[in-house]
Amino acid sequence: MPSRTAGQDFLKGLWQENPIFRQMLGMCPTLAITNAVINGIAMGLATAFVLIFSSLLISLIKKVIPNQVRIACYIVVIATFVTIADRFLAAFFPPISKSLGPFVPLIVVNCIILGRAEAFASKNSPGRSVIDALGMSAGFIMALLILSSIREVLGSGTFLGYRILGDWFEPWVIMVLPPGAFITLGILMAISLQIERKKGER
Amino acid sequence: MSLSSRMVVVLTAVGLLSGGFLASVGILTKDRIALNRKMEIERAIVSVVPGSVASETLYEEKDFIVYGGKNEAGALKGFAIYTSGIGFQDKIILMIGVDASLSRLFSLIVLDQKETPGLGAKITDRTSFLVYWEDKDFTQSFRLRKPPAPALESLSASEVNTITGATISSEAVLNIVNAAQEKARALYEEGRLSFGGAHAE
Repeated sequence: MPSRTAGQDFLKGLWQENPIFRQMLGMCPTLAITNAVINGIAMGLATAFVLIFSSLLISLIKKVIPNQVRIACYIVVIATFVTIADRFLAAFFPPISKSLGPFVPLIVVNCIILGRAEAFASKNSPGRSVIDALGMSAGFIMALLILSSIREVLGSGTFLGYRILGDWFEPWVIMVLPPGAFITLGILMAISLQIERKKGER
Repeated sequence: MSLSSRMVVVLTAVGLLSGGFLASVGILTKDRIALNRKMEIERAIVSVVPGSVASETLYEEKDFIVYGGKNEAGALKGFAIYTSGIGFQDKIILMIGVDASLSRLFSLIVLDQKETPGLGAKITDRTSFLVYWEDKDFTQSFRLRKPPAPALESLSASEVNTITGATISSEAVLNIVNAAQEKARALYEEGRLSFGGAHAE
């Protein structure tokens, strides 16, 4: 459904069009790096940076780009911001850069970013594009936070590296392994669909 | 302007601008990234060679570097061996601290690994694995104790415990250390680990 106000532009990213739970975009980083909360936060922020700036830039130059080469141009713009984020993390947050490994460069092919460029930034004003990107980023970060919190607490017994469950707790190793990501995401997806269905009935 | 020339102009301009921008970002961050790496190595050396505060590269080849750890006075306190080998998933990189006569292993740390979280990744954990690699005999090859010995004291000076459920990762570390030991000994005997002209303090 088309949004009209700035508030709607922002809020739709949180729930109605949440990139993870509703659009199911950007599954690769979502599944791969949510084994610890800190990784989820770092990936969320890096993606947010790329999404916001590439949406802004693409919206600004949309009139100059011929339709036939738009995807190539978007990818170059996105790749530029991703490389900046990657270098920045490597220079100032080496441990995070190390634990995210190849997934920072892979933001280039994160469908959320190209999806928003194509579906929103290339058709709307720079201001609205930035608000849309902020909303989508917030929705993405929120989803990564929920997913990584569940996985870190159950899989390692810690939260942000601090032990919160006592020695009695035997970590469920599967939760920090790839199957844990699929199981958790599946359950969260089911919950969000159930909530949506309840809302529809009302 | 025709459509095709417009496409060429736009793509070239976007490419050039992005390239120029990235080149400057690369220049701005290059030194810092190199410094981070250097500091990580330096910290590792100081932590595996007790009493050392600085280091010097004594021997270097691809994926095998021997550093000499020095104290404040510049005397050699021991060697730190940077080495790697294949683990269960990917390369495991170790820093091994040994004394200046290659007879004792002080300790070792894992600089990089991609083993299975919760299982093989325990090789980075002190209580479940690295503690067995502290203050060991470095004159002979290490052996794995399988099944693991219940108490630290019951292990001999060249025995280390296996991580239950991660035999391959434990063995990988063992093999890397044993290979490094052989290589370091050969270099030492050839006199190629000389430090400021002398072998040891």
